[in-house]
Amino acid sequence: MTVDQHGRGHAERRLSPADVRNVSLPRATMLRPGYSDVEADRFLDRLADELARLHAEKAELRDEVRALQEQVAGAAAAPEPPSDQAVRILATAQQTADSYVAEAEDFSRQMTADARAQYEEQLRQARENAGAIISAAQEAAARLTSGGRPPAADASGAGERTAEELEEQVAYLRAFGQACRTQLRAYLEALLADVEAEWGRADPGALPTAPPRTPAPNVAREVSRDDSAADDDQRTRTSAAAPEARTRR
Amino acid sequence: MDIPAMRASFAKAAATGDEAPLYFYAHLFLSHPETRTMFPVSMAHQRDRFFHALGDVVAHVDDLDRVVPVLQALGRDHRKFGVVPEHYPAAGASLLATLRHFDDEWSPELERDWSDAYGLVAKVMIEAAAEAADQPPWWDAEVVTHERRTVDTAVLWLRPEPEFPFRAGQSVSLETDVRPKLWRYYSPASAPRQDGLIELHVRAYDGGPVSTALVRRVGSGDVLRLGPPIGHISFDAESDRDLLLVAGGTGLAPLKAVVDQVARHGPPRRVDLFVGSRTEERIYDRADLERLDEEHGWLTVTFAVSHDDLSTLEHGDVGEVVVRHGPWNSRDVYVAGPAPMVEDTTARLVQAGVRPERIRSEVFAPSRLSPSLDGEVTE
Repeated sequence: MTVDQHGRGHAERRLSPADVRNVSLPRATMLRPGYSDVEADRFLDRLADELARLHAEKAELRDEVRALQEQVAGAAAAPEPPSDQAVRILATAQQTADSYVAEAEDFSRQMTADARAQYEEQLRQARENAGAIISAAQEAAARLTSGGRPPAADASGAGERTAEELEEQVAYLRAFGQACRTQLRAYLEALLADVEAEWGRADPGALPTAPPRTPAPNVAREVSRDDSAADDDQRTRTSAAAPEARTRR
Repeated sequence: MDIPAMRASFAKAAATGDEAPLYFYAHLFLSHPETRTMFPVSMAHQRDRFFHALGDVVAHVDDLDRVVPVLQALGRDHRKFGVVPEHYPAAGASLLATLRHFDDEWSPELERDWSDAYGLVAKVMIEAAAEAADQPPWWDAEVVTHERRTVDTAVLWLRPEPEFPFRAGQSVSLETDVRPKLWRYYSPASAPRQDGLIELHVRAYDGGPVSTALVRRVGSGDVLRLGPPIGHISFDAESDRDLLLVAGGTGLAPLKAVVDQVARHGPPRRVDLFVGSRTEERIYDRADLERLDEEHGWLTVTFAVSHDDLSTLEHGDVGEVVVRHGPWNSRDVYVAGPAPMVEDTTARLVQAGVRPERIRSEVFAPSRLSPSLDGEVTE
């Protein structure tokens, strides 16, 4: 491969790496050693041209890559916004789903409400029936005792009356205790409120930090009414559980 | 930032009612389909809540002292939905698209203002979420026991993992796999305990998807998810005044937590608990309350029934019964239950001379979605 073939004949043809590697420049005349100046200069010109062209192409490509990269990055950050049509379609679909769910919930609400109403009505009736049966039984029992056995006729009758009387007394005492308790507490609470108000007037600064404490009031702890059978039991348990607690009545 | 102009543009979107939030969510789901799974199937309530919350922020945007804490709480709370910082710009883009869509006078200035304002909101929320990163976004809580106490009330004991920090009287949002993505608020009925267990009272409201599932479908062994606790009834543990607690329905829960708090952590104080109910068999926690009454000398529990002629308990609306046992002038008073009961009781107590600032109340109602900007329970 010689420059003659490629250099002169095809001036426009671009240089390849092989061209450079295989270049064989003609010798100069016998008188001057080395390559022919003309051929060497021409080849260097072609090399310079090629380098310049490559640089330009590289810059161009770099620009293109950057533009494409920006485009890709932009697409990721802000995707093509959905069209109004798409938004409308999805919104309608969502509304349809919402209305189905709402309907289902409403249906279940009606069903359970109906069931509950029925349940409560039946319960009420059952309780009423039970109440009627109990009072009928009590009446019958009363008739039997009063009709069958004249009062104070025998020991058991007397025993029953005593029990009745005792019950009455217990009820009275309980009511009395309750009343006392309520009054005492009302008095104490009012006293407390008074003390607090007075204290607040005398030294407002002291009020929030040191509110007046109840001086271990002598007030019974309430016993729920249906607990009467376990009254004594309860008292001991209460005081055992809280030795510092108030005494009863 | 031109706040009046922003308010005007928001008002235009808000005036369309459901249209604007519909557009917003459809836009968000189309641009970021991965966000759809964070929401429930039915979006009806979600739409209300979102625009309601946004309206609150827009209304109070010039009162930063008020808005910032709410946004911080929202940011922390949103972690339980699986929201990460990358979701905020996505929602912001859809919000701007929505406002632009419904505003025929949209301008580049508005676009910039809204974009800046949203950026600030997102920043506050993201930072608050990042600060809470030492806590898990949510807690898995196994149902240890599940007891149906009445036809529509259940008492659950949960074991959260890891330890769940909360204070007596606070509320907890929870979600069950049976009703995915529907979070509801409940009040634990226990103070923090050593064994980490939490007691929960749930009443099934007719048609209520979550409450009915919690009462009728969830059982022991199931796992619920708990969101971070939120303060409602601000129980004043510092005060050592004696207490009057008045409960209606499952409003008993936070008040039982108060009793538990006094029992476990003091200070010693006299506590009177009144529990109101329509009928005797609706008192769902009677045995346990009677046990507490018996164990603690300082506690008195009184039950009242309003619609039960055969009952041997006290008769009348609970407020009436409470006042009958008064006076209560020296007490700290806590009232929790359905709205009419709370209003009635509060009014009666004030009339009986209790200072209004000593009465704290919480309304319990179906679908307790979340506290609003004012710290009140919505719906």
